[in-house]
This record gives sequence, C-alpha cells and structure tokens, in this order.
Amino acid sequence: MIRRNGFTDETLEWRSWLEPLQLAAASPLQLEVLDESHPQSRTSPYYLTLAHQPLMLRHRSAAYNAIMYAPGGLPRAERELGAMVVSVTNGCVYCTSVHAQRFEQLARRSDTVEQVFADPASAGTSERERAIARFAIALTLRPDELGGDDIAPLRAIGMSDEEIIDLLHAVAIFGWANRLMQNLGEPEGVDR
Amino acid sequence: MGRRATAFTRVAKVTRATFDLLLPPSNTTAMPTPDAADVIDRAAGLAPGDPLHSARRFRAKVVEATEASHEALLRQPVEGLSTADRLCVALHVCTIAGARTLARHYEGQLAEASGGDAPSSPALPAMLQFAAALTTDPRRGDRAAIDSLRRAGLGDAAIVALAQLVAFLSYQLRVVAGLRAMRASPADVAP
Repeated sequence: MIRRNGFTDETLEWRSWLEPLQLAAASPLQLEVLDESHPQSRTSPYYLTLAHQPLMLRHRSAAYNAIMYAPGGLPRAERELGAMVVSVTNGCVYCTSVHAQRFEQLARRSDTVEQVFADPASAGTSERERAIARFAIALTLRPDELGGDDIAPLRAIGMSDEEIIDLLHAVAIFGWANRLMQNLGEPEGVDR
Repeated sequence: MGRRATAFTRVAKVTRATFDLLLPPSNTTAMPTPDAADVIDRAAGLAPGDPLHSARRFRAKVVEATEASHEALLRQPVEGLSTADRLCVALHVCTIAGARTLARHYEGQLAEASGGDAPSSPALPAMLQFAAALTTDPRRGDRAAIDSLRRAGLGDAAIVALAQLVAFLSYQLRVVAGLRAMRASPADVAP
C-alpha cells in the first residue's frame, strides 16, 4: 500500500453530487450502454450518473475502452503510466488510485507508482518511463505550447507514430476522465 | 529536414478539394473506416494520404468513437441545453485553451447553427463559467459549481451533458495539439 501527497493506491469509492440513475427506472438503451461501458457499471454511481445521457456515455466508453485496452501498439502498462501521471497532475485522487492499481497489476511492481506520487516530473525507473511521464505532464499542462521538442524524446527512445498516438490518446482521455470524476462528485474513504 | 518540411508545408496548403482529386481511388476504398478527414484531422492539418492521417487509423475505433462523441455531445437533443448553447461553450473553451484551429471550427458551426442570432439561453453565463473553470483547472470543480448550474435552471441530465462536453473538449484539444506537435517532428528526421 502506498500513500503519499494525498494519493493512494488503495481502492476508493466515489460519490456523485447528482442523482445517479435508478436501475428500476432505466430504459433498455441505458441498460445496454451501461453493460457496454464497464463490468460493474450497474452498481457504480459514476456510470449511473453518466447514464443520464446514454448515447454520450456509449461513445465515451467506446473511445475509452479502445484507448486503454486495445491490443498492440503501446504496452498497456505504459498507457496506465500515462493515465496515472495525468491524474496526479490534475489532482484526481480517485482516478489515480484506480490507475496506480492497474499499473501495478500489469507491470508487477510499484516502484514507479511511489515515484509518481512523490513527484511526477522526475518519475520513472527508466529513460522510457521518464520520457512518458514528462510528455504526459506537458500535454496536460500546456497543450497550447506543445511542439516538436516535446515529441523528440519519444522518438529518441524508439517510439513509432502508432505508439506515440496511443500515448497521446491515453493522456488526452484522462483530461476527459479526470474532469468528470472531479466535477460530478468526489472520492470517499480518503482524507482530503 | 528543410526540404522535407517545405514539401510538407506545401502539401498541407493544398485545399481539401484538390487533395481528394490527387488521391488514387484504391486508397479511398481499402480502409475499413471512413477515410475522409474528420474534425480532428482538419484541426491538426492532416489530409488523407498523410502518414499521420494513416497512423491515426491504426486505432480506427478511437477515431470513430471520437467523431461520434463530437456529434452526440453537440447535437443529441438535451432539454435546457441547445446546440447553439453548446457551440458557444465549445468556442469559449477552445479560445481560453489557445486551441485556435478548433476554435475556428466551432465558430463556423455556431454561425451555421444560430443563423447569425446570438444564443440567448439565460443559463449561458453559468455554463460558460463552469466550462472555463473546468477547462483551466479541473481541481476547481466543486459542489457549488453544480449548484449554480441547478439554480440557472439545468436539470441533472443537462448537467451531465454539459460536463461531458467540456471534459471531451479537453480531450479533443489535446489530441489535436499532440498531432500538430508530431507533424513538427516527423518520424524519419528524428535525432
């Protein structure tokens, strides 16, 4: 278990500030989209809140699942590293806990997680991890200034266009995910 | 690098119509997904045939779901949240985030949707304030912001739609920024 700077890799709950959909009142489309989105979505306040707009949730989930889980391209642990670095940078405690766990499961180690919680800007157990973390921070904090100099380190460690696009997608979609988690509710079971 | 960059710039300047004429027909039918440039391609300056346009299609599902999200978030009917309201929000978000090409895209869509009339939803100021805070610093989201949207007359389903739109824009403008940066650092001239 790692706790640092308000972040944790323990399992947290999330509470909605809106009224989550009541399953008994759900339309067939809402149930279908919930089941497409996540295995536990029927009991998740987050998915039940987003299910108020089922078609918007459907396309979001299709994008999210393809970005984070599709085979090939950038190794999944590295997509999770990008997600975790963005979540720490945006201060999203809930997303950080989920994606720290996913990284640990995929990479079978937690040393990088400790470093990201301590200081994402210098985090990484290898040149490759450090390049991924720095790119994730740059795209998160200054998308308007991003340039070739931010891409060059990814090329230098041998990333293909397809791998860079995978990383770009993983970083960008956590700009999306963090904002929903942080603006429609809050984590429970954590000292704020 | 100089010669290549010049050629690239010249290609990028060719209009879409001309570019389509230059494409071999086989190239437009072989792809499993629509091969036309979508909103992200256009904002990033990518045309069919560019290496990065093709590289994006390696994740065809992401390309499709991103374009479908854009469409649903702006056009799906939502009580209390018109398409013109949403386009105003999108234009505001892209402007404050410095996403110039996307801002132009939403500006054009807004002119089309509103037919020159400014949208007049009384809730628009509260929506723009919520969108700006969420865009510039996601930590600023709190319960009070949700309550101010409710006081402005938005129901929970409209608040979900607005939050999804603003959060999506943060994603969309970062994908565009990343692709534009990749264009500035092409694969075969890396150090």
